[in-house]
Amino acid sequence: MKPPAPILDVRDLRVTFSGRGGRINALRGMSLQIQPGEVVGLVGESGSGKSVLGLTALGLLAAASDPQVTGSVQLDGFEMVGASPEGARQRRGTAIGAVFQDPMGSLNPVMKIGRQVAESAGGASDEEVAAMLEATGIRGPAAVARCFPHELSGGMRQRVMIAMALARHPKLIIADEPTTALDVTVQAKVLDLLATTARERGVALLLVTHDLGVAARICDRIAVAYAGRIVEQGTTEEILDGPRHPYALGLLASRPRLDGAVRGGLLPTLPGSAPDPTSSVVGCAFASRCPAADGACLTPVPEAHEDGRLVACHHPGELTTWPDRAAQVIKAAVAESAADGLAARKAGDPRTPAVVATGLVREFDGRRSGMLGRRGPALRAVGGIDLTVPAGGSVAIVGESGSGKSTLLRMIVGLLEPTEGTVRLAPGPSPQMVFQDAGASLTPWMSVGEHLAERLAAVGMPKREHAAAIDRALHAVGLPVDAAARRPAQLSGGQRQRAAIARAIVVPPPLIACDEPVSALDVSLAAQVLNLLCDLRQQLGLALLFVTHDLAAARAVADEVVVMQGGLVIERAPTDQLFTAPSHDYTRELIAAVPEAVAA
Amino acid sequence: MSAVKQPVADITTRGGAATLWRQRAASADESRTGNLVRALWPLLGVTLVVLVAPLLAPYGSTDINPAGALQAPSGAAWFGTDELSRDVFSRVLFGLRTSWLSALAVIAVGAVIGSVIGAVAGAVGGWVDAVLMRTTDLFLAMPAPVLAIAVVAALGPSLRNTLIALAVVWWPWYARIVRGEVRRMAARPHAEAARLAGVSRARLIRKHLLPGAVAPVFVTMSLDVANLVLALASLSFIGLGAPPPAAELGAMSARATTYLLDQPWVSVAPGVAVAVLALAGTVIGDRANRRIREGAAR
Repeated sequence: MKPPAPILDVRDLRVTFSGRGGRINALRGMSLQIQPGEVVGLVGESGSGKSVLGLTALGLLAAASDPQVTGSVQLDGFEMVGASPEGARQRRGTAIGAVFQDPMGSLNPVMKIGRQVAESAGGASDEEVAAMLEATGIRGPAAVARCFPHELSGGMRQRVMIAMALARHPKLIIADEPTTALDVTVQAKVLDLLATTARERGVALLLVTHDLGVAARICDRIAVAYAGRIVEQGTTEEILDGPRHPYALGLLASRPRLDGAVRGGLLPTLPGSAPDPTSSVVGCAFASRCPAADGACLTPVPEAHEDGRLVACHHPGELTTWPDRAAQVIKAAVAESAADGLAARKAGDPRTPAVVATGLVREFDGRRSGMLGRRGPALRAVGGIDLTVPAGGSVAIVGESGSGKSTLLRMIVGLLEPTEGTVRLAPGPSPQMVFQDAGASLTPWMSVGEHLAERLAAVGMPKREHAAAIDRALHAVGLPVDAAARRPAQLSGGQRQRAAIARAIVVPPPLIACDEPVSALDVSLAAQVLNLLCDLRQQLGLALLFVTHDLAAARAVADEVVVMQGGLVIERAPTDQLFTAPSHDYTRELIAAVPEAVAA
Repeated sequence: MSAVKQPVADITTRGGAATLWRQRAASADESRTGNLVRALWPLLGVTLVVLVAPLLAPYGSTDINPAGALQAPSGAAWFGTDELSRDVFSRVLFGLRTSWLSALAVIAVGAVIGSVIGAVAGAVGGWVDAVLMRTTDLFLAMPAPVLAIAVVAALGPSLRNTLIALAVVWWPWYARIVRGEVRRMAARPHAEAARLAGVSRARLIRKHLLPGAVAPVFVTMSLDVANLVLALASLSFIGLGAPPPAAELGAMSARATTYLLDQPWVSVAPGVAVAVLALAGTVIGDRANRRIREGAAR
């Protein structure tokens, strides 16, 4: 039986860009076929080339980076590689639709929604526009059509983008991280919308994402990309049941899981880092990080098809479980002390709580209407919250954007004055904070060593003791000693977050507040940073207050979870209890919305 | 400190590393300064040239060239002589030095005053910011030449007073730029992280906010040299510079307009010199601008 002609047929696609320090190999021979009406997930971490594939198929590679493309991308039988810009544009207009991560950046900020949708359809009446918007679940489409992009919420904007992508009845939609910027409950709805519209209309969908869980939620088939190649592809069930490529296995294993199977700093991690994009790779690109690697892995990797499933590995299926972290890196002693720590905490820590906040309220001035207009009513971001973090404890605050969770955190560490209420901190050094964007939380022109020395000087440590303390802190967070001399721009994303954590713990405070510390990191890095935070908590006896929108991460690190909505605490419970028996509807909704990558 | 229950005791300190970070941190600093110097060296080059130029002058700025008054350019007087028999070539060389150094001095003073005011306004905020910036706006609201003329008129014409007048009208731009950059830096999480680390306010401004403004300030400074050369020449042209007999390009050009039809070199030579100097300033400024921006992006 001959399969139908694929709508997207990518064969041995190689793309390089010019970059600092040589040409960057973005794709190193990627092949991927999508059949009409199929929903395919392309999953990979940053640098895997997943987004470049989408852009190449769209013919939208930025000319400024001087891309060199070889191989073939056939879009509905039309060769996009080497096509004239005009030809590519025509194909793009009729055969393919695109949805990107940042709808605000993709929409024209000074044009009303209705006109933009009509334009992308190549001209449409108001009624047609309203119908298109309504099809994406937008209520009151006529009113929305009269809005400007900034007047809509992120989820609404993404629905508008989907309506625009569908406007010309394309045969394929490429969605690049379409829900990454959205809240978890909105994310679930937008994903479901994408999947159902694609299936109803028989449109093929290529979902590009870093999150295996997002892909698993809606895709028929999943392709896992690593260093510019597909390392494994198969049906969603096959991939989740038992990945046959070690990288896919590691990626799956290092995801924090909602069922709490792995926690307390023992998330499995992928050691090492992806190959330098400027170097050429002869053998398997994953070999240096692979537990199953041997001499054969230095030779070019065959693409083995096994019953319609592709695995690019010399030892497919040899590894069935990813070595857990205790065996992998950590001496047994640490695992033991972790167990001790857990036991100690169960018994109750006799020290004074790291923080006791009582009746915290924070109001922001309302917006002024016009220059001389009266101020609107004050905005109550946090509306009266009591919170205690026991010494050495770990509390996660979860909630969606606008729930007031970050405002609460900032009041507790003292970056923001509460309107009402008090914060009582444990004696000792003031609490430190780990920010979401580690790069931005470090001063660009100061070296890591200077950042740490400054903190030491602030608590009055004599200068001659600085070097040793800095050395110790860097070691504790797993940075090489020479990292002290580097500026933030000279570190990788994961290293920057480690440097920021090193500054927080170089003088161990009773409390470390973390504001979404891993949401900007790749899955494997996120697992490492979560482990690190848990380890440091054990070793230094410090308490963690962890603000996140990621329930799985909260489950992995917290003893107690506080759920916030609209500035109020709506549920708080010990972690296991909250996840197994949530008592509030909103909590249940949040948990249900988390995209899980666990085989049913 | 009760919080330090187990201060990571098992980790041994390696001695050699202690000094390593200091050395490397210093070299990171050097490379940053190095880039700035590389971007600005043509400016220093021109400065050296104008400093040396008067040594090449065959006569002093007020010396008599024996060739006589209002002589046409010749081997004995390259740019001819003026109505008082002074050597125009020599006077132009002296004038170049005055113009260039004055421009640099005004820029330096303007940048320093502006940076201090801008940094305080940006970092402190509130009413301090409002008062300082509205004052700045007041200066910016008046056309700079008019303001400068008023200041010189009040102080009396002399080179020093012209420089003071220009510095007075020049700093507000720098205050604006520095305040903007400081505010931008203060909004970044790194400023909050530094506050949480217990850094004093003075150090916060000095180490975490102000360095962010260095590149834009230097860019503006390098682009400003040409503007100032022209502004100085203009003030001098209308008689608000150093009084005679000082060799000043604008004044030389202005006084010689009487002879423009019969002995044009006396007026044109200093005018061309101003044009060449301003052009050099523009080219160098553009180049420095590009290099500093590239360096900042790295």
